[in-house]
Amino acid sequence: MMHQDVDLTVDFAGVKLANPVLTASGTCGYAEELGEFMDVSALGGVVTKSITLAPRKGNPTPRIVETDAGMLNAIGLANIGLERFLSEKIPMLEKLGTAVFVNVAGQMIDDYVAVAERLAKEKAISGLELNISCPNVKQGGISFGTDPALIRDITRQVKQVCGGKPLIVKLTPTVTDICATARAAVESGADALSLVNTFTAMVIDIESRRPVLANRTGGLSGPAIKPIAVYLVNRVYNEVARPAGVPILGGGGIRNGTDAVEFMIAGATAVTIGTANFVQPDCAVAVIEGIRSYCLRKGLRTMKELTGSLR
Amino acid sequence: MQHGVAAAHKGVFTAEVLSNQQIRECYWRVNLKLDAIGSRYFELAVPGQFLEIDLSGLSLPSEKNIPAKLHDIASRQIILRRPFSFSDIVVTPTQDGPCVKLEILYCVLGPATLRMMTLQSGDTLSLIGPLGNGFSIPQNLKQAILIAGGMGAPPLLHLAGYLKRHYPSVQTICFAGARSCEDLPFTLKIGNLTGLVLEEFDVLGVDSRVATDDGSAGFRGYVTDCARHWLQTNPVDPESAVIYACGPEPMLAGAARLAEDFGLPCQVSMERMMACGIGLCQSCAIETKTIAAETEYKLCCKDGPVFDSKKVVFKL
Repeated sequence: MMHQDVDLTVDFAGVKLANPVLTASGTCGYAEELGEFMDVSALGGVVTKSITLAPRKGNPTPRIVETDAGMLNAIGLANIGLERFLSEKIPMLEKLGTAVFVNVAGQMIDDYVAVAERLAKEKAISGLELNISCPNVKQGGISFGTDPALIRDITRQVKQVCGGKPLIVKLTPTVTDICATARAAVESGADALSLVNTFTAMVIDIESRRPVLANRTGGLSGPAIKPIAVYLVNRVYNEVARPAGVPILGGGGIRNGTDAVEFMIAGATAVTIGTANFVQPDCAVAVIEGIRSYCLRKGLRTMKELTGSLR
Repeated sequence: MQHGVAAAHKGVFTAEVLSNQQIRECYWRVNLKLDAIGSRYFELAVPGQFLEIDLSGLSLPSEKNIPAKLHDIASRQIILRRPFSFSDIVVTPTQDGPCVKLEILYCVLGPATLRMMTLQSGDTLSLIGPLGNGFSIPQNLKQAILIAGGMGAPPLLHLAGYLKRHYPSVQTICFAGARSCEDLPFTLKIGNLTGLVLEEFDVLGVDSRVATDDGSAGFRGYVTDCARHWLQTNPVDPESAVIYACGPEPMLAGAARLAEDFGLPCQVSMERMMACGIGLCQSCAIETKTIAAETEYKLCCKDGPVFDSKKVVFKL
């Protein structure tokens, strides 16, 4: 029998990706850090850490704590700010050889708009991911992400300045009905949805009776959240994304090809590797190979045959 | 003072366990032999750098070997690697390139180190390293004053051996402190003239002193006060002496004050909770002073773990 290879490419909101595996925002720095451990050009793409208009120092420490099969983080969007990102990181990102999505964050809608408008002019950037779901900053962040009216407002305003580049809206799972927030984003111009961000959570040191994190709460990520993330991807796919023809960037606890395939069957067009990068910096490469070997075993030739194939 | 020495190369590789022994109450020593790739990475590693070990695949020790105080957290499923300093590196040249063996001292404190107890000769582990910037050694160094608190001692033991091997003219003295005698990760012995010394430093020909908060061994009080007494009676030249400190943060702050009082440069090895150790997660922030009298966060894993004590805003 002829050995037919798998076409791993995907069309993600108009951006052609070499494969459906990206590294998640906040877990791969500005992408150069990861380059010390793997060939970044082998990835479908990278999503940089959040960029804000002004530099942010981030939260005091402890900023992380490990939990059962997961971890909490409260970094607080520490980043070098828009200007330094443009001058120091864009030249490196231009040469990365993979699709670059920049995660955009802010405190007020105007901040998001200003950052998005400037970044949209950069040729090195394939698209923007709107972070309205960070659980670790008081203003902006999750307060936008839980209110459908605010999501409509911010999505519409940012989309207007994206200059044709795709806008991905990253959703928080910490809502009663994720389809309501997903719908608000899609109806206001989002070209894609990204889910899930971390779950707001807390770990308490029983000796001191204080939260372990200096921020008191943090976002739970890692294998612990995977089944919930798969469920939410499937719900959003069925109720919002598929009817609207909008792709999903799915993630939450993916560590290997099996995990990634699960998300794609649930409805994700592409997947993100997050916490696993911390443990295995070249994890994404193994995930790509895992997807390929699954497809070979199942006789699937394209990623379209995989996405949303839940029976 | 020059800046820390950056690692030339680093990466993921495997190591084979050569031995894993209990040395005191909760202290263990594991010896590893690195594979060819790891050996090349570690050939030029320096004291004060660290590595990350994936311990998630190890099983728990049998019920009877789990200390009562760790019983509840023992079953926690770990996912993140754990950072460790190393207490010695031995590089042996072979026809196929260098062969590196390294020694790690660890204290059984939680679900990951509990699992380390089960390591046996022949087991393999996934490592990432060498990471971070180690201690820097100025060209004109004549005297190294090492101050170690509790489990902060291993990289300073490495530094003492490293100085003996590569800078034999440098005079080194180590002050090691802990809450109590049994909290010292070393073997105590009676020195020739000076009372209690540490066996591990003595065999290197390095002078040492012991301090315990409760007076159960050596000087009664903080290790930084023990060093202060010594400096008061043994004047050193600030132009050619350096304090190297590793231990709990309040102790490092004490070492920084001591250095300031005696006009000595001081390098402190800091510690933070880390998810990755390679600059991805941004969790290991250390607050440092900028020229503009403001502060900024540096990363313990990439910018440190060794910092100039004058730059650090200590968390007390």
